[in-house]
Amino acid sequence: MTSKFSKYDEYGFVRADDFDYVEYEQFMSVYLTVLSKRSMRWARIMTSNPQLKKTARLKQFVRKGIPLSLRAQVWTSISGVQKMKDKDGPNLYKQMLNKPINEDIKNIISVDVPRTYPDNIYFYPTSENHAALFRILYAFAAQNPNIGYCQGLNYIVGLLLLITKNEETCFWLLRVLVENKLPDYYSKTMDGVIVDIEVFSRLVKKKFPDVSQHMTNLDMPWALVITKWFICLFAEVLPIETTLRVWDCLFYEGSKVIFRAGLMLVKHYRNELLACEDIASLAECFKSIVQQPFSLNCHVFIKEMFKNIGSLPMALIDDLRRQVSAERNADKSTYKNRKG
Amino acid sequence: MANRAVPQRPNGQTPGKICQFKLVLLGESSVGKSSLVLRFVKGQFHEYQESTIGAAFLTQTIHLNDVAVKFEIWDTAGQERYHSLAPMYYRGAQAAIVVYDITNQDTFERAKNWVKELQRQATPGIVIALAGNKLDLNTMRSVQTDESQTYAYENGLMFMETSAKTSANVTEIFKAIAEKLPKNENTNTAGQGRRLVDSAEGSNKSLSSCCK
Ligand SMILES: Nc1nc2c(ncn2[C@@H]2O[C@H](COP(=O)(O)OP(=O)(O)O)[C@@H](O)[C@H]2O)c(=O)[nH]1
Ligand SMILES: [Mg+2]
Repeated sequence: MTSKFSKYDEYGFVRADDFDYVEYEQFMSVYLTVLSKRSMRWARIMTSNPQLKKTARLKQFVRKGIPLSLRAQVWTSISGVQKMKDKDGPNLYKQMLNKPINEDIKNIISVDVPRTYPDNIYFYPTSENHAALFRILYAFAAQNPNIGYCQGLNYIVGLLLLITKNEETCFWLLRVLVENKLPDYYSKTMDGVIVDIEVFSRLVKKKFPDVSQHMTNLDMPWALVITKWFICLFAEVLPIETTLRVWDCLFYEGSKVIFRAGLMLVKHYRNELLACEDIASLAECFKSIVQQPFSLNCHVFIKEMFKNIGSLPMALIDDLRRQVSAERNADKSTYKNRKG
Repeated sequence: MANRAVPQRPNGQTPGKICQFKLVLLGESSVGKSSLVLRFVKGQFHEYQESTIGAAFLTQTIHLNDVAVKFEIWDTAGQERYHSLAPMYYRGAQAAIVVYDITNQDTFERAKNWVKELQRQATPGIVIALAGNKLDLNTMRSVQTDESQTYAYENGLMFMETSAKTSANVTEIFKAIAEKLPKNENTNTAGQGRRLVDSAEGSNKSLSSCCK
């Protein structure tokens, strides 16, 4: 365990100046035991269920965290990449790399690659990771001309690369996320994100009405706070280990996990949020809570987000999504009619 | 002027006023919006500034005579598709800086579109400044100063060429905006009106009482 004394964490990210080494050491002393126990259990499940067929037991295992050494393999299995590969052929990645794409999109990707995780030691100009990041985003744009490239995807792919260390695996995981797990967050109108921001705000109103009222009172739109949560799937928001634990569940259970994680933050830091007296301190508060001890302690965070938020069935989220979309469409058509 | 009627304190000092304004930055991706804010707020510059996802929020206060002008700065994402999120961010803004990159003509055209949109849809009377950024790359310039100057004049905008890298005109543009913003009226324009707080009172409980 050198990382607790290092300026960099085990994923190559530089630790913030105010990084709380004491808190982290305390957390790690417990979490390392958890990790070794989980590894042994996972070794067993990999022999008893080598296909990683979806079972209630596997779901529980995923919620308790996938060992780092197995993440690439397990993410690939539980998310349905194989089905995609069967359909599109195993050579798709190479084919897409040879397909020409729109010059503007290529340019935006080129600009964003060097500014992805500039503080991570594995990402630097001329690094193999930069080249790989470019190729993955390129191939994805070629495969999805309707999406092309959306800023934010660079952070997702960057993190996938750090974990899987295999660009082709990243390509498929990115596809499965964007095409199967999430609504149209990254499309040219970003409708899916706009809808989910509103869905989230309605869920908060239902579950934590005082926080919702407080946001309104201080004139703070949810969009200012949570757009990045949704677009980056908490990459560059939550501490890395917590983000990865959220992703474990996301690959298995889909997008409702993002709502759970967001609601958990609101629930746990409710008093801090309510204590803010103006929009500036509230914005500051949202920035700081995601790095505080509870958010860092991924094991407790994930456990609580499944236990303490109350029920959050996919059907409810789908209903709300439909409702919000319908309202948006109605607004748009009245606007059009008014315009003549 | 703003503080003519401010009463003197017993110790003879003038109690400053704090005026808060919401300012939004708009413009094409990678023209330097976040860098301008970082320079203005923290005095720093990063060669590889991380791209902004959604929006970022920062505050900075500048002092004009005896008025403290506190900017609530909303820095936005620039990629075209993030456009549909923009109205959520510029709602209620009293000032905007529309940024383009002087080495890239397309970004200037995009800036003009932002200006049009703001004039049509944002807070009436919003103070708009046009910033031609990356002035340090003057040798690679493709947008001429005259052209922008004329455009700004015809559209009633403030205009400066800036460099977040060298810090040229960065504080100046914020200061010019601060000077132009009205600090002594009671009228609310749209959305959240300007909010003026007597700093001696400390908090925002006197939001409704503007500078007298
Ligand atoms: N030479 C130069 N580069 C700049 C300047 N301002 C920003 N940049 C660079 O341009 C890139 C994009 O800047 P950023 O602030 O992220 O742009 P944004 O997308 O508009 O927020 C970064 O690599 C910055 O370092 C400037 O004044 N001069
Ligand atoms: Mg930016």
